[in-house]
Amino acid sequence: MGMSAQDKMIHVANRLGLTTLKDMQGTTRMVYDSQTTAALTHTLFKGASQRTFPLTNVGANGNQFQVDEALLVEKIGFFVPTAADGIDYNGLGTGNLSVKFDLVIGNKTVIKDATCELGGEQAFYNDGAALSSVIDLEGVGILIPPQVEYYVAAKTFDAQTRVATSQRLGCYLFGTGALLNFNTTI
Amino acid sequence: MANQVQKLSYVDAKLGVGLPGQQTTRVIYDSVNATAGQQFFEFFTNFAGKNEFQTNLTTNKLDSAESMVIKSIQILINGATANLAGHLNLNITVGNQVVIKDFDPSFNSTNRGLSFDRLHSGASTGGILELRLLTDIVIPPQVNFKATLQLGSAAIALNDDITIVLKGYGRIFSAGNSF
Repeated sequence: MGMSAQDKMIHVANRLGLTTLKDMQGTTRMVYDSQTTAALTHTLFKGASQRTFPLTNVGANGNQFQVDEALLVEKIGFFVPTAADGIDYNGLGTGNLSVKFDLVIGNKTVIKDATCELGGEQAFYNDGAALSSVIDLEGVGILIPPQVEYYVAAKTFDAQTRVATSQRLGCYLFGTGALLNFNTTI
Repeated sequence: MANQVQKLSYVDAKLGVGLPGQQTTRVIYDSVNATAGQQFFEFFTNFAGKNEFQTNLTTNKLDSAESMVIKSIQILINGATANLAGHLNLNITVGNQVVIKDFDPSFNSTNRGLSFDRLHSGASTGGILELRLLTDIVIPPQVNFKATLQLGSAAIALNDDITIVLKGYGRIFSAGNSF
């Protein structure tokens, strides 16, 4: 049997000296950020503390998790906000888009020059008739530890002509998480 | 890795809940009647005047010897203009502990190729969504819990209804003996 998400979180946390992460509240977690000015390139999550809901859900901590909170990223999805207010959004299929992206955690690029190809997970991803805008991470996923900055650098392009396209863009990171739990009275 | 049954037993044992109880699938829900433009909703905190289809609880805690695992969260809205397809912000608190934090379930709404689940319904409605959690979260007996939901849109109208349903493995009271 392979390693579970929880096993990986605890393993990585121990290697980083975060010995109390195993005692925190387990959860299912997602963070997202969006930029509603069309551009060829987007750096998502960086500077997100300056944006508010519904443009992002990261809050005042911005692009890092607070002490003893973490996210094991298991899926990455990209979406296109439909207006400047950022309330509504579409998948990549509306613009026939794919996204080339890097995921950077700390000073380390952990996903490099990858693409989230439009409709790329048809072998196992069924969302009605809609084409997938999500990429499942192979293996168990990648841990974003507490208090380490992370961001996604992304470029949008036409999925079939492979030409760069200026678009609004948003991204979510979804997976197993940990929330701070003091486990004692303070 | 512990499954729902094992996790519930583990947490209950840690909290000193002795009776094994009747295993079950538990569904709890609460519905809020909105005011026009309302964007912030609190669930499982006010039960006054609600009928049996609006809520199946009378207090914001499970009975003694009853507990459950939250495994699925469903949200329903009946508005003519409001829907669940725009960004949402969901928080669930058990005791004083936030167990679901700033979660946006709207990606599971409608068919946009953005759902968290690999096999998502072919039904494309902005009024109903369901989210399957990756983790098992326990609501122990006699511990307060609540859910809050913020809508990105202010399109909700007066008397629209919005409902949250929590579903999962649970235990209900069983004396295991005749009274």
